[in-house]
Amino acid sequence: MKDIRKYSGVLLITLMVTAVLAMKFPAQADEFTKEDEARWTKEFMTVVNEGSKLFHSSSLGKNKVSCDQCHPNAANTHPETYPKFQKQIGRVITLFEMVNWCLRNPLEGAPLAADDPKMIALLAYIHYERRGVPLAPGKH
Amino acid sequence: MKMNRRTFLKTTGAAAMASALPISLVRMAFGEKSPAKDFSFAYISDAHIQQIEGSKFVRNWDMGLTRAIQEANLLTPRPDFFFFGGDLAQLGKREELDHGLEILSKLRGKIYYVMGEHDYYLDLGKYWESNISPLWYSFDHKGVHFVVLTSILTYDTWTHHTKWTTPMDRMLAMARLDNPEGSPFLVGEKQRAWLKRDLEKVDKSTPIVLCSHSPIQKIYKGWNFWTDDAESVQTLLKPFNKVTVIYGHVHQIQYNQVGNISFHAVMATAWPWPYPKSYVQDPSHLPNLTVPMNRADPFFERDATGWQFINLRTGNVDMHYQLPDNGNRSVVFNRKAGRPQDAKYQGVGSRVPPQTHY
Amino acid sequence: MRTKARVFKQTLWAAVIAATLVTYAAFAAPLGLPPLPVPADNPITPEKVKLGDKLFHDKRFSSTGEVSCANCHDKEKGFTDGLQVSEGINKLKGTRNAPTVINAAYLHTQFWDGREPTLEAQSAGPFINPVEMALPNHEPILKIVRTDPEYLDLFKKAFAKTGNGITMKEVEQAIASFERTLVSGNSPFDRYFYGGDKTAMSPAAVRGLDVFINQGRCVSCHVIEQTQALFTDNRFHMIGSGAKQMPKNLDDLAAAVEDVKKRGTDIAVLSNEKTSSLGRYAVTRDLTDIGAFKTPTLRNIALTAPYLHDGSLKTLEEVIQFYNNGGREKETDPVPELLSGGIRPLNLSKEQEADLVEFLKALTSAEFAQK
Repeated sequence: MKDIRKYSGVLLITLMVTAVLAMKFPAQADEFTKEDEARWTKEFMTVVNEGSKLFHSSSLGKNKVSCDQCHPNAANTHPETYPKFQKQIGRVITLFEMVNWCLRNPLEGAPLAADDPKMIALLAYIHYERRGVPLAPGKH
Repeated sequence: MKMNRRTFLKTTGAAAMASALPISLVRMAFGEKSPAKDFSFAYISDAHIQQIEGSKFVRNWDMGLTRAIQEANLLTPRPDFFFFGGDLAQLGKREELDHGLEILSKLRGKIYYVMGEHDYYLDLGKYWESNISPLWYSFDHKGVHFVVLTSILTYDTWTHHTKWTTPMDRMLAMARLDNPEGSPFLVGEKQRAWLKRDLEKVDKSTPIVLCSHSPIQKIYKGWNFWTDDAESVQTLLKPFNKVTVIYGHVHQIQYNQVGNISFHAVMATAWPWPYPKSYVQDPSHLPNLTVPMNRADPFFERDATGWQFINLRTGNVDMHYQLPDNGNRSVVFNRKAGRPQDAKYQGVGSRVPPQTHY
Repeated sequence: MRTKARVFKQTLWAAVIAATLVTYAAFAAPLGLPPLPVPADNPITPEKVKLGDKLFHDKRFSSTGEVSCANCHDKEKGFTDGLQVSEGINKLKGTRNAPTVINAAYLHTQFWDGREPTLEAQSAGPFINPVEMALPNHEPILKIVRTDPEYLDLFKKAFAKTGNGITMKEVEQAIASFERTLVSGNSPFDRYFYGGDKTAMSPAAVRGLDVFINQGRCVSCHVIEQTQALFTDNRFHMIGSGAKQMPKNLDDLAAAVEDVKKRGTDIAVLSNEKTSSLGRYAVTRDLTDIGAFKTPTLRNIALTAPYLHDGSLKTLEEVIQFYNNGGREKETDPVPELLSGGIRPLNLSKEQEADLVEFLKALTSAEFAQK
């Protein structure tokens, strides 16, 4: 009987500490909060808009040509088909490599690293304008 | 009488062929004898000469126009005249227009000019009107009435908006095809009134060819494949038996038949544009008749670009697209069906497979 | 199962597997090449190959008795002849550089302008061309093969045909079968790119491969793909070669076309520089093809100098410079107006040009390399 009382005391204290901690640090459950989602979406759209600016700018390459001159609204970029065999490079590639091909060739400029913020912004815009289209990797 | 080149050329109205073929082959291809009223003219459009800096211009677009002219100079028999379909410059700059005119000066033949939005919005057509051509006019040729409109105007409130701190601001805004803050093309009241008066003098049986830059149809507003007062213009054309509208701006093959009016888009010499359907976030209305072109290979700079010659056969237009990197295509007026038809790539049911990857 | 029976069964299976593997190996393409296309009506047999080899080297099939296919397609010279333009009987000059026979089996058309669709059809042309073997027709060939005892034996073994049953069809099929054995892959490039041997190419050649694919833009026409590389797209492009000879006006062009129609493409293009410069146009009469020539394979390219359809560039260095200038020998030459849209100045550095040459040398297959 004495032990149960001792242990229940410890249990009570543990429960109280947990309750205090739970209030300070909400339960790490699976759901995202609406505020987090909204904030993260906003962060994403910031990058999409940055990408749109770059996509429509004439300073990505060396000849003033901008991506939207051939791809209005990023049409005809078909991001949903990557990775795919790319004839102009001779092997299966991901989208960023094709963006670099365009930067080097029609735009006569320099390629960007895969994790360059400019590249990520361009890819975000290109994918965003194609939202809703099912994946079709490898499709020509 | 033994046919030789000189006697053949003397028989005016002979249809033009794409390559410099000797006379006998030309006769074989066309079969029946052409009545005297038939003639050919050629169309070069959308050169988009773009300045990089100083005397450096984007080589790709220069080459496109240069090649079209070189090929057009090899056309035989010679077409009666040429049209330039608009967008000679990319940003309407004097340097760009001058450089374009310099390249065009190598073309052997008379040129009629159509204004494009890339030519207009920097100085609102001032340089064009004083150095190149009036903005709207008409003329008659071998019994056909030609009308040229500047169909890329827009609402005054946009054109003269205070938000344009410089003319180049406005030009850049109109130059961007997918600009959400753009403004739809218009023929406008002034020109429609002029057109009405002009057409009053024309007999209803006279074939009419209307050359404009924007489509005089409503295809896709987001990219200004659009003319806001299209219906009003079409109404003015309705009373006539044979009307063809030829337009540029879209940089792709398009054709349509609306009542008595045939519509034909011309190719750009500079670069191709995707079909509006490939922008999935927005609906569009490409004419059902059109068999689209395949997606271009960006390595080959002339892929899906080109120029065209037109045979006017008894008042209807047969358009023969000269595509340096693709199989040439012909969109010919089918007299029985009463509409243009692609001679090689058929309608939806029997489409040649490559014409589906766009 | 009893031990003896089991051993017997195992041995039998081993033999079957070995036999299957040998058969497979006999038909497997060399490293870096796709499966060899063989027409259904002309399967390769050792008898046909032996016969084709003999026909290919037979000088009797020429008006002077001095010229065989091997004159211009010499095994010691990468199956070309090392000349700017080939020479036929009495050293008569043609207008075009001899293409290699090695790997020609993979091409969709034959000749620089693709005027013949198959190896079979191509083989018959040179015999009756006035600047090549100059026979009046194919009869002299048939006379020999129908009477020479060695040929009679070979034709019987290859086609089960004899006497007047032997026609040009069998001659062509035998030559084509021989040519189909002249394939080569397994070059240092193949071992590096497909074989995973990172030491197979020199560092310069590895850098050259990067130039080939990226800044040089070569790969779009001289195709490398994921599992094999033919180094040709089998298409026709106007790269600026022959721009100087091309007809400049309508009258010259019409005259050249008349010539082609009157004398046939094969004879007209090999006898007249202007007509030759028309390239594919002489075959299709399409303005798209004016001055366009077939993309040759680059395999063994180090063995087949001089280069271009008219042999006008002597070294690989000159070829690279030609492309670097955007289809011109000198930077100051005018830009050809009808240039293919894929040709443009490349802005390569001297080092990049040299690396590219090293890469091209890595495309030579050991069995054809010069000793």
